[in-house]
Amino acid sequence: MEEKGFKLSILCCNYTNLSEREDFFEVPVSLEIKRYPCSGKIEITDMLRALREGAKGVMVAGCMPGTCHNGRGSERAEKRVLGARKILEEIGLEPERISMFFVNRLDGEDFINKVKAFYREILNFELKGRERK
Amino acid sequence: MEIKSHLEELLSSGKFVVTAEIGPPRNADPEVIKKKAKILKGYVDAVNITDCQTAVVRVSSMASAVLVMSEGLEPVMQMTCRDRNRIGIQADLLGASALGIKNLLCLTGDHPKFGNHPQAKPVFDLDSIQLIKLVRGLKEGRFENGEEIKGRRPYFFIGAAENPFAEPFDFRPLRLAKKVKAGARFIQTQIIYNVEKFRKFMERCRELGLLDKVYILAGITPPKSLGMAKYMKYNVPGLEVPDEIIKRLEDAKDKKEEGIQIAVDIIQQVKEIPGVCGVHIMAIEWEEAVPEIVKRAGLYPREEAPSFMPPFVVEKVVEKVVEKPVEVIVEKIIEKPVEVIVEKVIEKEVPLEGEMAEEKIFTLIEILSDLKASLKSLKAGMESLEEGIARLEEEFLKKKEARPIRKEVIKRPEERPVERETFIEEKPKIEEKVEEVVVKPEAKEVKPEVKPEVKPEIKPEVKPEVKPEVKKEEAPEEIKPREEEKIEVKPVIEKPEAKEIVEEKTKVEVKPEVKLETKPEPEVKVEAIKIGGLKGIYRPLSERAKNLPQDLYMEKATGEIKEVVIGKGDRAIKVGGVSTLNFHFFEGEMKNGVKFAFEILDIKPEDWPESLSKYYRDVFHDPALWAKKCVEEYGAEAICLYLVGTDPNFLNLPPQHAKKVAEAVVKAVDVPIIVWGSGNAEKDVEVLREVADIVGERGAVIGPIVEANHRTLAAVAMGYNTPVIASSPIDVNLAKQLNILLENMGLPLDKILMDPSIGALGYGLEYTYSVMERIRLAALFAQDTKLQVPFICSIGREVWKTKEAGLPTDELMGKAESRGILMEALTGVTLALAGGDLLIMRHPKSIELCKELFRGLSMS
Amino acid sequence: MIIAERRPIPEILRNIENYQKILVLGCRGCVAICSAGGDREVSIVAEAIRLARTLQGKPIEVLEDTFIRQCDPEYLEPLKDYQGKVEAVVSLACGVGVNLIADLYPEIRVYPGVDTSFYGANLSLGEWVEKCRGCGDCIIDRTAGLCPIARCAKNLLNGPCGGSQGGRCEVRKDMPCIWHEIVERLKARGELEKLLEIWEPKDWRPAGGDGLRVRVREDLRLNGGKKPWR
Repeated sequence: MEEKGFKLSILCCNYTNLSEREDFFEVPVSLEIKRYPCSGKIEITDMLRALREGAKGVMVAGCMPGTCHNGRGSERAEKRVLGARKILEEIGLEPERISMFFVNRLDGEDFINKVKAFYREILNFELKGRERK
Repeated sequence: MEIKSHLEELLSSGKFVVTAEIGPPRNADPEVIKKKAKILKGYVDAVNITDCQTAVVRVSSMASAVLVMSEGLEPVMQMTCRDRNRIGIQADLLGASALGIKNLLCLTGDHPKFGNHPQAKPVFDLDSIQLIKLVRGLKEGRFENGEEIKGRRPYFFIGAAENPFAEPFDFRPLRLAKKVKAGARFIQTQIIYNVEKFRKFMERCRELGLLDKVYILAGITPPKSLGMAKYMKYNVPGLEVPDEIIKRLEDAKDKKEEGIQIAVDIIQQVKEIPGVCGVHIMAIEWEEAVPEIVKRAGLYPREEAPSFMPPFVVEKVVEKVVEKPVEVIVEKIIEKPVEVIVEKVIEKEVPLEGEMAEEKIFTLIEILSDLKASLKSLKAGMESLEEGIARLEEEFLKKKEARPIRKEVIKRPEERPVERETFIEEKPKIEEKVEEVVVKPEAKEVKPEVKPEVKPEIKPEVKPEVKPEVKKEEAPEEIKPREEEKIEVKPVIEKPEAKEIVEEKTKVEVKPEVKLETKPEPEVKVEAIKIGGLKGIYRPLSERAKNLPQDLYMEKATGEIKEVVIGKGDRAIKVGGVSTLNFHFFEGEMKNGVKFAFEILDIKPEDWPESLSKYYRDVFHDPALWAKKCVEEYGAEAICLYLVGTDPNFLNLPPQHAKKVAEAVVKAVDVPIIVWGSGNAEKDVEVLREVADIVGERGAVIGPIVEANHRTLAAVAMGYNTPVIASSPIDVNLAKQLNILLENMGLPLDKILMDPSIGALGYGLEYTYSVMERIRLAALFAQDTKLQVPFICSIGREVWKTKEAGLPTDELMGKAESRGILMEALTGVTLALAGGDLLIMRHPKSIELCKELFRGLSMS
Repeated sequence: MIIAERRPIPEILRNIENYQKILVLGCRGCVAICSAGGDREVSIVAEAIRLARTLQGKPIEVLEDTFIRQCDPEYLEPLKDYQGKVEAVVSLACGVGVNLIADLYPEIRVYPGVDTSFYGANLSLGEWVEKCRGCGDCIIDRTAGLCPIARCAKNLLNGPCGGSQGGRCEVRKDMPCIWHEIVERLKARGELEKLLEIWEPKDWRPAGGDGLRVRVREDLRLNGGKKPWR
């Protein structure tokens, strides 16, 4: 199942999880985890850049609404994901390749499950894309 | 002299007139118009020709009018402002008059958006009232620009439309008055179903004296079906269809018959209203209904137009093609049996439309497309409604911003100007210095120069601890570390300053004290840095500001922070008790200064960087020894025992473990103790309950209490009469709320220390700063008593877990230890400036550094 | 302020199709305030271009810069440094900026990165609404400060048309009928008679009907200025 060169990028608020790469052994792709002091700090540019640098999908993870240290940082992140998706649509990529996830703080399992689900979704896109070819 | 139009003749002689309406086709077939005219001929006095009604492209009203004339029927040409500017309009008017068209209805016109070319540029150079005035001007012999018309002037019987049901309702008669004033001689109204409302409108027109000046023709439309009636009721703006009409149609077996009857009934009613001089029947897609309505309403036969003559010929017979020379004048046109033709017409033609353009009635196609549009806008409406609700929820169900506090902040701009001057001069210098300092110790061997000056002061204190870290390659190490630290004391002082000035007005007050050390003698500055900056250069604010009125820079707090006693006996400490922003000694006092607690853990730390561990490694195995070392060797005045081992997500050690550790620590030291649980709300209840049993009699602080466990833990604290840490996620309102909850439980405010959940330098420090500052301002200046509680800040934990504090020494990041120390000290100093009263820290050197700074700051 | 909106990325891509190195140039004026062409948007647009081109297999080098303004020759000076270094400039300034670059640096190929829309107010985060059409002949002294030129779909000057219902405009049902509001306000002020006068047709020359609009302040000009203007 392991795909060479299949990379997912996780941009997350530092407080959402303490997971490290080894926690994701069940996800058979290379994961790039970038931590931010708050998901509200994650810019559209960061999301797009991750794709350009080879990620097949970008997962933006922030605290559940209402639990953000900075008030509404994760809600901002959610909005930015919308902005990034609009651009993806314009340039002909599946917008779902950038997705927002609200994660229970420090609930590592929840987080890892979400990563897995996201991986499956992106994998689907990839398979479809290959069929088309 | 001009010859009046037939319509004008009838009206001016007091006859009750009937007009109808023809919508030209959307193709170039003249027969459509002629056939429609034939249906109406003999039953109406004149017929309106719409001007691309609902902004859909059709045969022009001028051409259609001429075609209608060829059938012996008098046209009322409609003209809108939508498609022509004043040049086009005047040109068409001259042309229309030249063709013998004498009745003109002036309209603003439907917006292109409603039509089949919504992309078109709407002209609207004029509006209907300006158009009316323009036409009157033409009649009187002048163009819109005032230029005289030389030669024959156009003649028009000028009409306008008015919608008695549009809003603002009471403005409508006034608008009609404007049209009359502009020159309108007759008015055709929007379709009337609500006769009562129309009656009121007419009454108002009478009051305004309009009825003597203008002939009003009531708009009538027979509803062809129930669906059409409902559509008009719900979708056509400004058209009121009373429920009663709907009901009549619902009950009727033959809807068309009922529709005709409704029209007849309304005609009978409006006829009786004073000032109604006729009716304008708009039978949409249903011209053949007009003769029937006219007959039933007793308005048949119509008076024959005496000498109605089109100015030129259009071939009279339907079957033949127009070929003849234009000059030949055709006489009357045959009045044929209407019925027969009607049949034909209906079979052949789909689009039989008729309507006044400004009012909204559409052909079936348009009705449908508009229905779609309405649905869309309904949807949009729903969405915006949802949005509104969402916003309301947000507004009312979520926390609000602490605005009042902001106000406090803004209150004190007086000092700024003064500061700014000094600051601007200084800034560049400071920055340069900082850079130098950073580079020097790392890369180059420039130290010798700096060394000597630094030595005398600081050496003794720092030597022993710093040594081990330094590598052997550099011989004179003892001095270096000190130098680093000492020099970097500078940045520590300066940075907060700079920040404050840049971002926060409030902070301004802290500046004067700090800055002055460097400021007074620019040249001495370098020295100042080396000396440690803080001693001996201070000039009291009163002296520096002697030329300024005191009230310009001073604003005394109206509130005071409660004093909380921690521990018992000789070694007890007090925190809080400040009546000013921290270190604003010119405004109030800080009775107890800023206090420090050394943080120890209940287990052997795993993730402490070497630069920190090396101070405690020998005592890691035993919290009691550890506490003792802090007190005896580093002079700790309080100990914070962090029970991290009990964390369910970590080692999940049982409460008994915590109890044992606490017991040992209590025995080992006599300074006040703070017991900090794992932060897991449930576990902390179990753990702290046990621990309180041990530390309670020592007056130790327990915590953190969060909203989820505040009931139980408040009870525990009250049981042992110990102070608590009230911990809330960095937010003014949440902090306040927790204090209120605790107070409601019976815990007095002077037993509470607030933990605002802080962030380390680079990890949210500035946000912490601003929230703490807002809390403090609310407490001191806005009498927010529930916030008049000291801050406890758990700094060490946040700082030493950062990546930067743990990275090894390298070119880019500099020395590991001094970096860590600076990060911790900088976080500590910053939060102290923001109002921190009790700082929990880890590294002995950073505590020392903070103390040194605070000593300096306290010299005023 | 001037309100603008980012153009669709494919439009921008089409313009720069044949280039390998471009500059995305933002402006810290109005377009930054309305979140269409400030520093943040520059980085977004630049990254979107890079991403799209990478996906097309034609990577492109995109430089990013943002000037304080693009509507002043002085502020455009630094553009000189880019001359010859980039093949094209995508300007996120309003149309004024793009034009001025085209005027002053004819050798630079400059393309618009935003659609310049209108003069509007920022009602709330992410919402801008037109308030003025710059018609050059202000009439809102007579209409209680509310502009029927900008805010009435038909630019009416003599009161609301028949499509005013429930205070809403029939053309845009999410918009108020501004004439309704004007009437209500003047009524409340007891100044309704102001509306009873017939408002003469507007002179549209100041609105641009007269060609390029120019404003000259002789008391400010030095050395005869730049006339004739380009």
